[in-house]
Order: sequence, then structure tokens, then C-alpha cells
Amino acid sequence: MVIQKTIKEIIILVAVSVALALVVNTFSPRGIALVGQWDVAKGVITASPAGDAAGRPEEIDSVARAKDLFDKADVLFVDARSQNHYENGHIPGAVSLPVGQFEERIEFFLNRYPPAQPIVTYCSGRTCEDSHDLAQLLSGLGFTNVRIFIDGFPGWEAEGYPVE
Amino acid sequence: MASRAGKRKGTPLNNQRQFIKNNSWIELAARWIIGLTFIYASLHKIISPADFAKIVYGYGLFPEVFINLIAIVIPFLELIAGLALIIGVYPRSAAMIINALLLAFVTVLAINLIRGHEFDCGCFSAGQSGYASSSEVTLVRDIIYLIFGMQIVLFEGNRRNCFGRIIAK
Repeated sequence: MVIQKTIKEIIILVAVSVALALVVNTFSPRGIALVGQWDVAKGVITASPAGDAAGRPEEIDSVARAKDLFDKADVLFVDARSQNHYENGHIPGAVSLPVGQFEERIEFFLNRYPPAQPIVTYCSGRTCEDSHDLAQLLSGLGFTNVRIFIDGFPGWEAEGYPVE
Repeated sequence: MASRAGKRKGTPLNNQRQFIKNNSWIELAARWIIGLTFIYASLHKIISPADFAKIVYGYGLFPEVFINLIAIVIPFLELIAGLALIIGVYPRSAAMIINALLLAFVTVLAINLIRGHEFDCGCFSAGQSGYASSSEVTLVRDIIYLIFGMQIVLFEGNRRNCFGRIIAK
């Protein structure tokens, strides 16, 4: 039967694909968890939830807390989004450091801010991991007081706080 | 006998359709084109599954528990089916898998175009803008691939191997 033969072949091809996918994903350093964190109510979405909890920069998960930090003069907000997004509107006083251009722009940043500088990174909210990547990079360079404002610019704007 | 002779005489349009459907060179070209495209498309998804998972999430159509599994398995389905098409292993079945994938892509894209759902999280660093606006182009491209894919499935003659030599059934 042609149909039976086709079904058998399809099952073989699919089985090989699934097996290979799972094996590669398990052993690849870039592999992801089998189930991700895709619920924005629970925090930032990510394919690989909280693997390395220790040493991860602290998350700020309420806009009000971010505003408290904003009101302290010494806290520096760092915008991880693209230059374009930054120019279209950002948290007042924030510095632009797009995570995609980190290497080109970090030297300027290092020359201006000491390692103890309190930093809050942000990007486009809970569907965006750039603020996490940026916080990780900055921590790796020795910045000791880095936090992540996970609701980012959209959360800030939605609360009606000032933008520039 | 009479009925077979009658069948062979078709209208010119029918003959043309038969020519395309059972032309083994068109079938081989379709296999190469789709095969290479799917292999190429699978590679960057295989290299960064986390990014692909986020795209899958961005379509806003899949249950949260399945997003990672979809992102892990689909690229390998593309890779294996693409390779099978080119090499000529189970070409008809591989084309059916590819067509099913294309149908799924077309459905997902069409649903999101119709409901005006655009996922732009602003996460894409320099040089990746415009990704959302190309849905229409992708949709048309996928439909063209689907037509090629149908030719491979409907083909009834002897297929060629990847170098163009006819292999007997």
C-alpha cells in the first residue's frame, strides 16, 4: 500500500528529526530547557529560565520601586535598547548602551563611571532580555551594584512617569 | 484499449499540466530549491534556539509549555526533510513534511496578518529592524514553495538522484 509506505517513511523522518533535535539540544552549550518561562505575569520571558540564580543581578519587578531608585540622584539608568529606541524616548537621564554595540561603546562608559556606580538597566519590558544581558556584561566587568528594571521603558511610560 | 487511447488525448492545457507534473527535471529542481532553502533556514535556528523560541512566542498562538519544544524540533525537521529531498531518500514523504510545515507557516503568518498582530519587542539590536513588515513577502514566498512541494508529491514518474541520473522505481 502506497499510503502505508508513506506513513512509515514520514514516521521515520520525524522520529530521526526529533531524536536528533533532543540529543543536540541536550549537549549543545546553546541548548534550551524543554519548557521555557513564557508567562509575563511571572517575570521576564525566557527560553531558559533561571539556570544560574547565584550571582545574577537583582531584578526590580515593580515600576514603583524603579521610581524610588530613579528619585535617588546617584542611581544611573542604562538603556539597553537600540540607539533608535533610545532617541524615540527614554527614562530621563538614562545613558544609552545598546547591548548589540556593547564592545564599541563600553570604553566610553568605563571611563565615566566607577565600579561602585549604582546602575539600573532596562529595555522594552518583560518580552525583552537585553537588560539582563547588559546587566550580566556590566557585572562581569566589575560593576558591583547592578539591578534590572524588568518592566522597562513601556512599564515606565504606562505609569505616566516623565520621559525624554 | 479504446478507453486508454481516449485518455491519452487531452486538451492542450491538460497536456501542459501533465508535462509539468511528471517532468523529472522540474521535480529535481524543486527538490534542490526547497531542500537548500530549508537546510539554510534551519541552520541559524539550530545555532540559536533561544532566539527562535522567542520568535515562536512572538506569534502569540502557541501554548507556553510547547514553545520550547517547537523551537527545538522544527529546525531539525526542516534540516532532515531538506536533506532527504536533496539526497532523494523518501522524497515524496519528505516533501509531505515540508508541505505540512509550509502550510503551518502560511496559516500562522496569515492569522497574524489578519488580526494585525505584530511582535516587535524592541529586543533586536542594530540591523534587524523591518523583520515584522516582511510577513507579506514571507507569505507569498511560502506559497510558491508550496506549489513546488506539491509537484514533488504529485510526481508519478521515475525520479532522478541528486546528480540528475534517473533511478528506476
